[in-house]
Amino acid sequence: MVRDYNNRHALEQKLRAAPTPPAADHLMVGHWRAVATVLARSGQEETVQRAIASVPEFAMRFSAPAEWLVISEAEAPSGLARRLEELCGAMAHVIDLSDGRVVFRLSGPNGRRILAKGIGVDLHPDVFSSGGSANVLCGHIPINLARVGEDVFELIAPRSFAESLFDDLMRMGREFELTAAFAD
Amino acid sequence: MASLITCPHCGVRPKEEFAIRGDASCVRPEPLDSDEAWHDYVYVRANPRGRAVEHWHHIAGCRRFLVVERDTATHEVYSVADAAEFARRAER
Repeated sequence: MVRDYNNRHALEQKLRAAPTPPAADHLMVGHWRAVATVLARSGQEETVQRAIASVPEFAMRFSAPAEWLVISEAEAPSGLARRLEELCGAMAHVIDLSDGRVVFRLSGPNGRRILAKGIGVDLHPDVFSSGGSANVLCGHIPINLARVGEDVFELIAPRSFAESLFDDLMRMGREFELTAAFAD
Repeated sequence: MASLITCPHCGVRPKEEFAIRGDASCVRPEPLDSDEAWHDYVYVRANPRGRAVEHWHHIAGCRRFLVVERDTATHEVYSVADAAEFARRAER
């Protein structure tokens, strides 16, 4: 049973239908993305940040002071955790969250207007610039939001809230005919 | 007026992201202080109208405890600081 749960993607039921061609505004759901959280020991924050930022295939998301989410498209979950452990050693605590998080990628010209319906943070590029990230509330769901491009946002949500967040996002994007599909 | 709190780590955020954890001005008594002192510390709270110092937990953001000084009647916010930083300043 545990294996069934682990092998089933949280949104498998929602994205069962044959994929529709992506519209201008499109929501991509990541398939088994490796996500880990890194908590730096006090006094080692900058060293840890520099060490992780030096690896180009790791994307670092700010979550709290001395705490980041690290995601990787290239690494498998166990590999990501192991590489982070090697990188940080005793300077930080690394926890693999891959089975517990779902990564969404919202792209399109209306992304900001869609997210503004659920997020109480100014998403103007002057304030929330490309490369920026933060923990925010989307409706009632705590997520990590990152701007990865001018019109591309990435949302990292807890797995148990993924279906609910997916429904919310589709409703928020209905006026722009938002489409959704798995990433590959 | 919208209730906005400027978190020192996350920037301007709506109050929905926070949990208010009560008066931040109470000072914990020494372990062997009188029962009255402990009773007051644990149970007795003022309910001021006007300036108050409170603990706010940024539960949906950085999950840090903040010390917010605000007016309870107008919700004018005077200062926001990380609770660890606030305690360090108080010690000095």
